[in-house]
Amino acid sequence: MAKKKKILLVDDEVDFRETMGKLFSRREVDFSLAESCMDALEQIEHDDFDVVVMDVSMPGLDGLKCMAEMKKVHPHLEVIILTGHASPHAGVAGIRKGAFDYCLKPIDFEELLEKIMLARKSLAE
Amino acid sequence: MLRIFSFIKESLFPAPPPVFNQEELGEAFRKRYTHFRSLLTANNNALQAMADLEKIYYGGDSYRMAVIRSKITTILVNVYKMVRSLLAMSSGRYGELEKIFDTINSNLEYIIEKKPELPQGPLILGLSELSLKDATLAGDKMACLGELTRLPGIMVPPGFVLTATATRKFLTAEHLAEINRRLQVLDPDDLDALYKGCHGIQSMILALPLPADLEELLLVHYNRLEKVAFPGCRVSMRSSALGEDSATVSFAGLYRSVLNVDRTNIVAAYKEVIAGKYGARAIAYRRQRGYRHEDIEMCVGCMVMVDALVSGVVYSIDPGQEDNGLLRINATAGIAKGVVDGSQAADLFLISREKPYPVVYNEIRQVVIKQGPAQTAGPSLTYNQLRKLAETALLLEEQFGEPQDIEWSFDHQGVLYILQSRPLTGGHPAVETSKKPEITVADSREQPIIFGGVCASNGIASGEVFRVDSPEAMRRFPKGGILLLAHPLPEWAPLLNRAAAVIAEGGTEAGHLATVSREFGIPALFGLPDALKLLEDGQTITLHATGRAVFAGRREDLLRQKNVKKDIMAGSPVQRILTEALQWITPLNLNDPASPRFKSSWCETLHDITRFCHEKSVTEMFSFGQTHRFDQSAAKRLVGDVPLEWWVIDLADGFRDGAGVGVKTIRIEDIVSIPMLAIWQGISAYPWQGPPRVSARGFGSIIFQSTMRPELDPSVPSALTTKNYFLISKNFCNLSVRLGYHYAMIEAYLSDLLTESYVTFRFKGGAADQQRKAVRARLLADILLQYDFRIELRSDSLLARVKKRSVEFLEQRLQVLGYLTLHARQLDMVMEQPGVVDQYREKFLREIEEMLGKTAPTCGEDDNGKEKENTVS
Repeated sequence: MAKKKKILLVDDEVDFRETMGKLFSRREVDFSLAESCMDALEQIEHDDFDVVVMDVSMPGLDGLKCMAEMKKVHPHLEVIILTGHASPHAGVAGIRKGAFDYCLKPIDFEELLEKIMLARKSLAE
Repeated sequence: MLRIFSFIKESLFPAPPPVFNQEELGEAFRKRYTHFRSLLTANNNALQAMADLEKIYYGGDSYRMAVIRSKITTILVNVYKMVRSLLAMSSGRYGELEKIFDTINSNLEYIIEKKPELPQGPLILGLSELSLKDATLAGDKMACLGELTRLPGIMVPPGFVLTATATRKFLTAEHLAEINRRLQVLDPDDLDALYKGCHGIQSMILALPLPADLEELLLVHYNRLEKVAFPGCRVSMRSSALGEDSATVSFAGLYRSVLNVDRTNIVAAYKEVIAGKYGARAIAYRRQRGYRHEDIEMCVGCMVMVDALVSGVVYSIDPGQEDNGLLRINATAGIAKGVVDGSQAADLFLISREKPYPVVYNEIRQVVIKQGPAQTAGPSLTYNQLRKLAETALLLEEQFGEPQDIEWSFDHQGVLYILQSRPLTGGHPAVETSKKPEITVADSREQPIIFGGVCASNGIASGEVFRVDSPEAMRRFPKGGILLLAHPLPEWAPLLNRAAAVIAEGGTEAGHLATVSREFGIPALFGLPDALKLLEDGQTITLHATGRAVFAGRREDLLRQKNVKKDIMAGSPVQRILTEALQWITPLNLNDPASPRFKSSWCETLHDITRFCHEKSVTEMFSFGQTHRFDQSAAKRLVGDVPLEWWVIDLADGFRDGAGVGVKTIRIEDIVSIPMLAIWQGISAYPWQGPPRVSARGFGSIIFQSTMRPELDPSVPSALTTKNYFLISKNFCNLSVRLGYHYAMIEAYLSDLLTESYVTFRFKGGAADQQRKAVRARLLADILLQYDFRIELRSDSLLARVKKRSVEFLEQRLQVLGYLTLHARQLDMVMEQPGVVDQYREKFLREIEEMLGKTAPTCGEDDNGKEKENTVS
């Protein structure tokens, strides 16, 4: 049995990170938090992740570019993008650029968990 | 010539597909399967979101732009995923789908992102410079007052307005983006969060500095007011919003007014009024009535405070009554605030609209007001004042061409000032009549005969029940009938322009038929497990889809409720956006897969694309066995107590751990493929009786067929004619059977995710003539129809499918297929003998029922698996 991999949550909002951290812990999901794209890229280098959940509308960086960087180094990562502004453009553009799925803020945690499960299932295939 | 020859050769003897070894086969299967599953999941999500969107649109309740955006985004993302998956499955065939999708995507984005036009103008305009045409710059309230300054005999306090241009100078695009970002993450149902969020936004606005030039200009205009009135005069700062353009929407009392403002706090008061746009109640009201925040822009009026003796509100027509020819006046001592916000008791006067304006009725609820040194007590208004108010109200009504709601004050000198005049909304008819026509049992004369299910399309209708379960019944369906179905399949859609309503035992609001029902405005109630038992053909019923109830007979009392609902969102910007957007989303033009128009180039809406992708993905998936031949050395022979010859190829996790390694055989006990085991239960339930007794004529025909088609001759050895192959994984099984002369294929994927689950059965051929083969295929179809299969039958070629059901349900269907695959062998040969078809039908059904009875409830019982929410364990 392969070692279970972790989820990386990337978001610049500290409150959001904390809340999500609590929710993941409660559901016994192994996770790590990153506050920026740089932080995320660094963590990916040193730890074993399979799914990244990332806000694509963080200030100072194009989240989709960040996703492209991650996938360049680790093509097998599945990325679920988060956006606070339900924009058809952002959603479709994210999928076009290789995101597995997207979730809207405010997050429906069960929906996010289900998408993470599906992403993992897809990775296993 | 050569080309023609090669064409004929290719048509008659197509090149065999490439041969794959087990590993390659497994890989090809897994890849295609991953895309197929992802397509099915996306299909489910897209259809669910479309159903949600239509429910929102037709439901009559209010909805928010954020929800519309989110649903449309979900639909677009999932439809795009479907397109991508189909392209991957079909090696890029249907490439034009992507272009069609892009066009629809851009159209929708344009509709959603389109912003109201914002005219530019001066930062501040004097009240006397304004007229109604300036409403887009000064807001309706101040533009109206400006208009009134031109009317002889009407007094408006001196003042000016800080225009929308000023607001945009104060709250820049960046500020608005930040505000919108905060608003979008607010959960509208969490009132605490809403108030907290609003407070945060308002504090942010109050803390922003006013641009220096705007502040300077504001003070210059205040100075001018001081000159007109008196030094140090107090002003009122009032909201004057842009974009409240619907007569049914009042926006009354939602925004801020700041009274008794002087030079020292005029800037703070201005910001306070601007921030009032983001008050919790204002936000909630806009959401409820279909206004986006950007549809409303706040301007601020600044007027000299009237030294009011008595103030109040006059309605030029008494609202709430039939036209009674009266005006309604409320009055209170001092300023009008208490009347407007309802916080203070006020005197009420009902006055005739005809000269000399007699008082018809009054209620004096106020503390007595001194109307001058000579008067000690009396009502708040004198007769002369009432008459003056009546004359003014009627003048304003004439000026604006509709009944008016007017705020006024009499000052101590007895001068009447008009502070506001706006169209009278007459209450909120939309709100009052938008109550859902819920029926309670107590209300109705008789109990419903069926209650429950899922309302797939709102409405009430009455008619005669007509059950449709075959193309033949479809042709006989009467206009105005109530369509009764076991499952609401898309193929029944053409009936919806004739049906009065639809009732189905299965289904949800997300299916195609549900969508089309809503599109046609036909009431539909799905998910009623006993509908077929409880309703009879020809029975007259009344369906109350919204109340999820079916009543016997024609219920006029319920039918009268049909049009009671009014649309609370009528005419709002959000409703306009959704109306436009839906045109690109829900209409379904691709109904019939057999039609020559069932092509990607005919896809005009996102619904068309989902329908097309779904249909083609099924075709692509089920051609897997035809396009992927396998290297037979990968197969292991099933050994043990096994009838006939069966071979098994493991694609992934189909064998018990460690089983089958290094050997050429496998035992049934070592198989862990759930669908294969179910099929096997069916195959092994009853021993095959051997070939039926054939008449000489029947046998002669078989010999003839064999001579004509050597590949059908069982004496000619060939891998395909002698072996039956199972391709398996834990949850998947594809069984191809070439038993003698017929070809059968069973394929199944069983999953906890209902969207992924299906069972498909193909059956074709036989050794007898075409007619007898067709009779056998019909017999199989008849039996499978009884077990909830969806059937396509052309001559002797049968395709039967069942999908989106629970694992247990599908396992039973696989048992049925396993049983039939074995026992239908060589049956075609006797199909011309009289009574034989009935005899076999009876035998098969009896044995199948007995077989299923051993393990689980018999068919027809609800499996509780009807397209419920997907869960991932």
